[in-house]
Amino acid sequence: MPKLPTENSPKVEIFVDDKAVMVPGDTNLLEALKAVGIETPHVCYHPYLPVSGNCRQCLVEQEGPRGRMLVIACYTPVSPGMKIYTPASSERVKSARKATQEFMLVNHPLDCPICDKAGECTLQENYMEAGQNESRMRPEYGKNYHGNPAHQFIDSKGQVRGGKRVDIGPRIVLDEERCVQCDRCVRFMRSIAGDEQLQLASRADHTYITTFPGEKLDHEYDLCVTDICPTGAMTGKHFRFQKRVWLLSRTPSISMDDSLGANIWIDHAEGKVWRLMPRCNPEVNRSWLSNTSRLAYQNFLKDRMPAGDVAPIKQTLAKEGKVALVAGGSCTIEDLAALKLLAEKLGERAEIFTGSFAPVLAADGIAKSGDPVANRAGMKLLGLPAGNLEELLKRVSEFSVLLSVHCDLFENENAAKILGAIPEKIALSAFNNATVKASTVALGVNHWSEVQGTMVNCNGMLQKLSAAPVSPDAELRPAFSVLAELAETPLSCACEAFALAKKMANVLSAYSYETIRSTGVMLDGVQL
Amino acid sequence: MVRQVKQKPMNWVERLYVFEALRGLFTTLKHALRGLLRYETLPTVPYPEMKPEIPRNYRARHRLMLRPDGMPRCVACGMCAAACPAHCIYIEAAETEDPRIEKAPARFDIDHLVCVFCGLCVEACPVDALRMDTCETSYVHPKRDDFVAPMFDLMTWDPKTYPQNDSQSQMAPGGTLNQQALDAWGMKVN
Repeated sequence: MPKLPTENSPKVEIFVDDKAVMVPGDTNLLEALKAVGIETPHVCYHPYLPVSGNCRQCLVEQEGPRGRMLVIACYTPVSPGMKIYTPASSERVKSARKATQEFMLVNHPLDCPICDKAGECTLQENYMEAGQNESRMRPEYGKNYHGNPAHQFIDSKGQVRGGKRVDIGPRIVLDEERCVQCDRCVRFMRSIAGDEQLQLASRADHTYITTFPGEKLDHEYDLCVTDICPTGAMTGKHFRFQKRVWLLSRTPSISMDDSLGANIWIDHAEGKVWRLMPRCNPEVNRSWLSNTSRLAYQNFLKDRMPAGDVAPIKQTLAKEGKVALVAGGSCTIEDLAALKLLAEKLGERAEIFTGSFAPVLAADGIAKSGDPVANRAGMKLLGLPAGNLEELLKRVSEFSVLLSVHCDLFENENAAKILGAIPEKIALSAFNNATVKASTVALGVNHWSEVQGTMVNCNGMLQKLSAAPVSPDAELRPAFSVLAELAETPLSCACEAFALAKKMANVLSAYSYETIRSTGVMLDGVQL
Repeated sequence: MVRQVKQKPMNWVERLYVFEALRGLFTTLKHALRGLLRYETLPTVPYPEMKPEIPRNYRARHRLMLRPDGMPRCVACGMCAAACPAHCIYIEAAETEDPRIEKAPARFDIDHLVCVFCGLCVEACPVDALRMDTCETSYVHPKRDDFVAPMFDLMTWDPKTYPQNDSQSQMAPGGTLNQQALDAWGMKVN
């Protein structure tokens, strides 16, 4: 893995285009130049993959003992006093990059209009940055695909083509023609996923990406190769031809199905989520996102609960007997604060339970901690019990009202049998799930993709969710708003709910939505 | 400040009104008489009995070009929709069964009530799938929704007269490019 610059990197002086600049000293030249605002076009280099250095796109000139020579910026470590020349001053670097770019595009098909990567394609970006060549392709030669011989065919113009839409796995389609052999996907499967399923076969311009004979690309993280693929060679079947990427708007948020809280982009258009993409956070999920989290969006609009009136819930809560308030894993800090407010309002009658019946799995070390209760650390922070549903099952006879928030209690058959004994069941849920069906009163609330809020991940990092404008019904409200109304202290916005949470947990008082960075802030001195 | 305008008093001929009225109608009457006596010199066309001559490069109703097998040439890339200043093109893409064609439109709608007939979509198209050379300029529909032309309507244009010598053109079906494609694809040439 390349060593990336951090805030603590030692600063060294190097000379870029004969100008002295201070750059981080413990990294490679590409990252060092990036740190001072000089972007270097690259294809095979990825900050979270081992350096391979095969694309030769990031060439710069370095002053050496034998004069100036071209070196690749991604594999050259920064050393104090080194002299670097970029295209800003060196014509040689400019033409070298341009030639590399031209060479890379020689047999790359002109698929941009139908390619799902168009608009976010590294080759397109590099072409604008370093290429802009006039085409020297002679029509009598055309494009010649020399890769996988099994997929070659001659098209209507007499060109040798091949390898379009190769079904490489259950979730991914491979276009061998578009592949530029950067081997990012191979390195990802080898080093990050730890399951070497992809290989480069053959040599030189006959190289192509393939799996082992008879095997398919099938891994929990295999859709990450579609992100890191600099071209449209690897495309996910879930997003294939769904939407042109330039029509999508992005909202930064957090995936609330796991306690690591993978940072995501919610890509939406026309009031609908079209895909979830990993959002780079060096300390949480880097650039990776599991298939489960990534494909979760497909159910965001399915089987949703309609908005409704709070009055029946109020009446039910006003009945005699103890009230069990149950918060599910995807509750934000704001929801939990409002739930605590409701518990205070109900006084002695109420008791808060949290958690999920889903099993806690082992962390996979990539982008999942295995804990389905996403905001468990946030629950601890607010002084709530973190995961005590077993206790609720034991003491179920004490309670006469059950209020669940974002928590599918009745999915578990055993729990459903025991909890069925509680006479009044209230569900605040985004989906029409088993709990809603078993409950006496139910109300639809916003899903986590539609709310602003915060969560604390399992490493004690405070991260914020932003509301994507994808709510199926404008009348739907976030859970904290409904809970606050039940507690008869209405909260008009998420920031008010966060202010409430600040009073409950002192450590939050230093932060506001403006001061929480997009990559989150590490909470100091929090015992988790 | 009030300014008083003194009008010239009318004489008795003017006060008769008849001659002044005829003088005011002189141009109208002149053209009315011309229509009666020398009809062929009029610059106007008696629509709808006679239709105006519309040049081939006039930006009229859109049509989708067809492949030799009758499917639209469109690859659903969305360039026309991206170029459209009125946002009147709606495209949904889908995969096709044909191994030679990767992407094809499942839906291609043009809302002719919203369209401003600028022709940018035609220029944006990378595969020459969209043209505005139908010379059809009248849009008569009983309902608003009918003005949204779906893919089928855009594909079924009957070229009554089309220049055969246009090498770029593809009279649907036929044309030189189609002939080449038919040969290369080994399809039956008619």
